[in-house]
This record gives sequence, structure tokens and C-alpha cells, in this order.
Amino acid sequence: MKVVEINEVQKTYHDTEVEVRAVNGVTLSFEKGDFAVIVGPSGSGKTTLLNLIGGLDQPTAGEIIVAGHRLSELKPSELIDFRMEHVGFVFQSYNLIPVLTAAENVGFIMSLQKWPKEKRMARTDELMEAVGLSDRHKSRPSQLSGGQQQRVAVARALAPRPEFILADEPTANLDSKSAETLLDIMEKLNREEEMTFIFSTHDVRVMKRARRVITLEDGKVVSDVRTNHSA
Amino acid sequence: MKVNQLAWRNLWRNRKRTLITAASVFFAVFFALVMRSFQLGTYEKMYSDVIQSYSGYLQLQNPSYLDEPNLDNGFTVDSVLVSRLEKDPNVEAVVPRIESFALAAAGSRTQGVMVLGVEPESESKALNIRNRIVRYKLTPEALEALKGEDLPSRLGKNFELFAGEAFTEAKDMASILGVGKRDTASLLPVLTRHTAYPGSYLSSGETGYAIIGNGLSDYLGAVPGDTIVLMGQGYHGTSAAGLYVVRGVVSMPNPEIDNRFVCITLDDARWLYAAPEMATSAIIGIRNSEEKELAATQERLREVAGDELAVRNWKEMNALLLNQMEADNKSGAIMIGILYLVIAFGVFGTVLMMMAERRREFGMLISIGMRRGRLAGVVGLEMLLIGLLGVVAGVIASLPVVFMGHARPLRFTGEMARMYEDYGFEPVMPMLLPDTYYLWQVVVVLLILTVAISFSVRKIFKLNVINALRA
Ligand SMILES: Nc1ncnc2c1ncn2[C@@H]1O[C@H](COP(=O)(O)OP(=O)(O)OP(=O)(O)O)[C@@H](O)[C@H]1O
Ligand SMILES: [Mg+2]
Repeated sequence: MKVVEINEVQKTYHDTEVEVRAVNGVTLSFEKGDFAVIVGPSGSGKTTLLNLIGGLDQPTAGEIIVAGHRLSELKPSELIDFRMEHVGFVFQSYNLIPVLTAAENVGFIMSLQKWPKEKRMARTDELMEAVGLSDRHKSRPSQLSGGQQQRVAVARALAPRPEFILADEPTANLDSKSAETLLDIMEKLNREEEMTFIFSTHDVRVMKRARRVITLEDGKVVSDVRTNHSA
Repeated sequence: MKVNQLAWRNLWRNRKRTLITAASVFFAVFFALVMRSFQLGTYEKMYSDVIQSYSGYLQLQNPSYLDEPNLDNGFTVDSVLVSRLEKDPNVEAVVPRIESFALAAAGSRTQGVMVLGVEPESESKALNIRNRIVRYKLTPEALEALKGEDLPSRLGKNFELFAGEAFTEAKDMASILGVGKRDTASLLPVLTRHTAYPGSYLSSGETGYAIIGNGLSDYLGAVPGDTIVLMGQGYHGTSAAGLYVVRGVVSMPNPEIDNRFVCITLDDARWLYAAPEMATSAIIGIRNSEEKELAATQERLREVAGDELAVRNWKEMNALLLNQMEADNKSGAIMIGILYLVIAFGVFGTVLMMMAERRREFGMLISIGMRRGRLAGVVGLEMLLIGLLGVVAGVIASLPVVFMGHARPLRFTGEMARMYEDYGFEPVMPMLLPDTYYLWQVVVVLLILTVAISFSVRKIFKLNVINALRA
């Protein structure tokens, strides 16, 4: 089942004197359960592509369809609701709301979605456990290590069961051990919850763990390889 | 997570900044309120002084008297009309009087004066000249006698400063001279013994007596028991002259009046000016002087008085004073405006800093699905809370000060007091109790907050999420 379909998508920036084609004619699709990584040199368009898929930005040309929604047809406010309902985001850093505890951060999107309290609490407990932080419910982000913060961010993104999770260089700020732990957790959740993960990275460790590696260069897909190694 | 919960927690994430911002609002509100209270209280006092000692709240006049106040624009008192006016439920008494000019002379000195002819008994229903009779005065003799006493040395300096000063009440004298509360009991008897001043008020039926202002008394060198000569022009150009024995000296609040004040009985004035049965005005003593009630009373009395006579209120009669106060009021308002402008910039600085600091966080929140309106709600509520914290604290802190300042007005002593008197003010700063001016401070702060909040709401709605996340 296709979760994301990208057809001939282009994104051009005119900000500077020169025109930058950050994404230049990309056609791709992602299946439910994918554990895919987008790689490529700096400036190749990874972040731009992820932003387009997540509905944070609109393409200059082409079409993106997510869970049956044509993103180009959504108004800005509908796009915000769309993201809340269908997309989980994990950023490189500063993911969490500093004034909320770890557990409240995990529950945040569910409460935006107005989940009943008991269901929300149960899901929070389940995910805090899954990311190995069941003893840190009440910790504030500032009291957690970078790796722990990223794990909370993954739990938050996953909590309301979105269509897929987009993670832009989630391990970039982590040491090897924390990065491995985070990847273990994501793999496990990919398996157990059948959650689709799409991430970008420079990190070889991440590439090695992916089951699909898409390589971008100058805004174009230069290779799309499915590897067989499973977690 | 509720909007208000999130806002509340955000408030305390930068505790210092929140408190400093709230404190700046607090100080602005507090100072503005105290300043306003002093200012408005002082006006109130000036108004009530002039009303109670001179003009009264309402007067019955010949319509042309307001523009040309002289005897020829007086009127003949109609006792039927007077009793009809007195039937009004809010009218205490209608007290005719004559106000005119004359030259006053005693010994070799002469001064142009204002002569007031009143009915001594009924006059006190409308005015309080009777309560202004000087009972203590720092005459040269009194000062000499005080030097012989064993008094604290700091008082000696104030004696020099206030030589010639007159007082109605012993406690006012003690306060102006800087006699501390603790010393009052022991020093007051000594002070009053040496400074006691003779004199009393007029009584009806007697003839040939005058009450004069303290300033005039000093100028003419006329003290109770001395005789003064009044010379002037009577009704329709007759010449007027008379001899009067000074009965007492009064201390009038306004030095302009104090230096030129002579009061005789109405009968003597009518005789002096050859204007029997006449008056230049009749003061209408009022029971309830609240603004609305006063206006309604004036309206009713106008009906009764008809076209022949005008009913004037104190504002019409004291236009000059009102103008002066209005000008002073404006300068005060400008001061407060500047104060608030500074605070507005402070609040704005906080908002700018906060918005810049949290740009990334806002980008993240909108990315993961928080609607902009909701986010703006959180941020707006935060600022509202900071502002209200400041306003509420400012109002609460000002209340005891204002109530104290009203119940026990600040009195200046020593040189400050002298300075005030030299400028023609009583050295008292009473405070006005909370009134609409309180509301105004709150409105102004809310206005500042509205601007700050709409600025940040706009910022949130225009935030470019992609750029915010990159930052
Ligand atoms: N908002 C923007 N305005 C102008 N140019 C932009 C903007 N965003 C991206 N670009 C340009 O688009 C190109 C792709 O940028 P993008 O951030 O997608 O690359 P990336 O592959 O994520 O790089 P990195 O690995 O360094 O994160 C770059 O040349 C970049 O300068
Ligand atoms: Mg990038």
C-alpha cells in the first residue's frame, strides 16, 4: 500500500540572485512499513524533499499525494491539521517543548487531537516504555541527554499513529551509542507498529540499518536501492 | 495540555524577565496612580477652598454681572423669590451679599481692596469665613517671647522662616513649624500662649466693624482694634466712605484674596455704597454638592429664577482658576504619558526578545500540528498575565498610600512649606481617593498590552515555518 506518492516534483528557490533548484524532478513513492533513508551531499535537497512530503512547504511543480490527500489542494490551515493527523516529525534538535515533562511532550499531539485522557495516558506509558524511558515521565527536556530527548521526540511523533514519520538527520547531534539506541528503537517500532519511517542522513550507521537507500544529487534521485538486510 | 496551562508554565521559564517586565509595569502604574492622586487631590482642595471660602457652589446674579462684576450690575433682593428658591430640597439657604471695590487706608498706607458685605449669621450656611479667623500668629512680639523659652534649636530656624505667618488651628501651626508628634503635647501650650492672636467674627446687628485678610493686615499694619478707612464709589456713581474697626483677621487660602480681603456686614455695605435692598450676588448654600445633583439643582433654580436673574455654578464663576488647573493637568498628563511610553518600549523589548528566542520552538509547534491561532492564544495570554500582574500589584500597592494620603494629607514643613506659600499654594498635598483615574491607568496598560500582543500575534501568523526550523 502506497503511503506517499511523489510525481515529478520540483522546488525552486528565488531568494538569492541565482535560482536554486533544490528539488528537481523527483518521482518516488513510499510503501507502508518502509524504513527508508535519503542520503546525498550537503545541499542536495534532502531537507527540502522531506519538508515537501510533510506538507511544510509547497512544490513549485509536480504533485504529492499523502494518504489520499493531494497536498496542493489543501489551504494553509488545513495543512496544519493534515500534519497533526497524518505526519510525525522528528527534527535534528530542539524537538521538545521545554516547559512540558517528557510524558507531557509525548502526549502533546494526542491532546491536540483531543484523545480522551485514559487512552492518552496508556499510549504515553506504552511509548515511554518502548523508548526505554519509563522512569523519566516527569523529567523536563533540559534534564534529559540529547539521545533521550530524541527518543522522546520519536515517541511523540509516533504516539497518535500517523501515516509515517519524517526524521531529518535525527542522529546528527548524537554520539554513536545514543545513535545506535535510537536506531534500535526506531527499527523495533517500525516492526512492532508497522510504522513507516523516512529519514535523511549523512550518517553511515543509519544508512547501514536502512532497508531502502535513496540517493539525491543536485535535487535529483540518482539511485534508489532496496537492501535485504533486516533488523 | 490546555492553552492557559502552557502559558502559565512559559511565564516562569524565564522567571527574571517575567518579573522585571511585570515590575516595570508595576512601578509605572504605582507612580502614575500616586502622582495622579496628588495632582487631582490638590485641584479638589483648591476648588473646595475657593468654593467654601468665597464663591460657593451656586450664586444668584444679575446676568451681566459675570462679565462685568460691579455694583451697577447688582440686583434688588426679592424676599419672595429668595423664599421660593429656599424651598428647593437641595437648597440650604440663599445668602445675599455685596462684593465691590474700595480703597482701604490705615495710618499712611493705602491698598485697593475687595469689600464683601455679608449677613454674618446666614453666611456661614454657605461659606466658612468664620472658620478662618486667625487665632495664632508669629508676630515679632510673639517671636521675641518665644526666644526666651527653652525650645529645640531647629524650631528657631522655622520661626525665622515663618515670621508673620498666621494660623487658624494650633495643630496646623505645630505641623508647619515642624514640631514632631512626640513634642506636640509639651510644646504646644508654650507656642499657643505666646502666639495667641485677638479677634473674632462679625455679628449681625452690630455696625462699624470689619474683618480683614491676613495679608492686608500686614500691609496696612492694621490689627484688631485699629480703625481702617474705606473709600470708593457707590451705586450709580455716588461717593462712598466709612470708618471701620478691625474685629478680626482671617487667613484666606488664596494669597490674591488674602492681600485684598475686607468683610463687613451686608447692612454696612449697603449703607457704604448707598445701595439699600441690593446685592451683587446671593450665595446659594447647597446640601448635596455631587456633580450631577448640583447640575440638576442649578437647572431647577433657573426655572424658579426666571430670565431676570442668572444662576451660576462655581465653574462658571471660577473660569480662570479652572483654566489654570486644566493647563497644569495637561502637563501632568504629559508626564504620565512619557512614563508610559518608556514602559511601552520596555514591554515591547521583552516581546521582541521573547519572539526571537522562541522562533524555532514556534516553528516546531506549527510543524507538528499546533494551529497558529492557538499558539497566538498561548503567547497573548502570557503577555496579558505579565501585564495584569503588574497592574494588579501596582493598584494594590497604591491603595494604602492613597487612602493614607487622603485621610492624613501630606503637610510640608520648613522651607518646603515657605516655598509653597510663596507660590500662592497652601503647603498641603491631599490625595484624591480612587476614582475614574484608576480606571484610566488600567486602560492605558491594557492598550500597551494590546499593541504588544497584536504585534506578536501578527508575527506568529506570518512566521515562515521552514525558515524558523532552519534557524
Ligand atoms: N529557504 C531557502 N531559500 C533559498 N535557498 C534554499 C532554501 N532552502 C534550501 N535552499 C537551497 O536549496 C538547496 C537544498 O537545500 P537542502 O537544505 O534541502 O539540502 P540538504 O540536502 O538538506 O543539505 P544538508 O545535508 O546540508 O542538510 C541548497 O542549495 C540550499 O541552499
Ligand atoms: Mg538538510
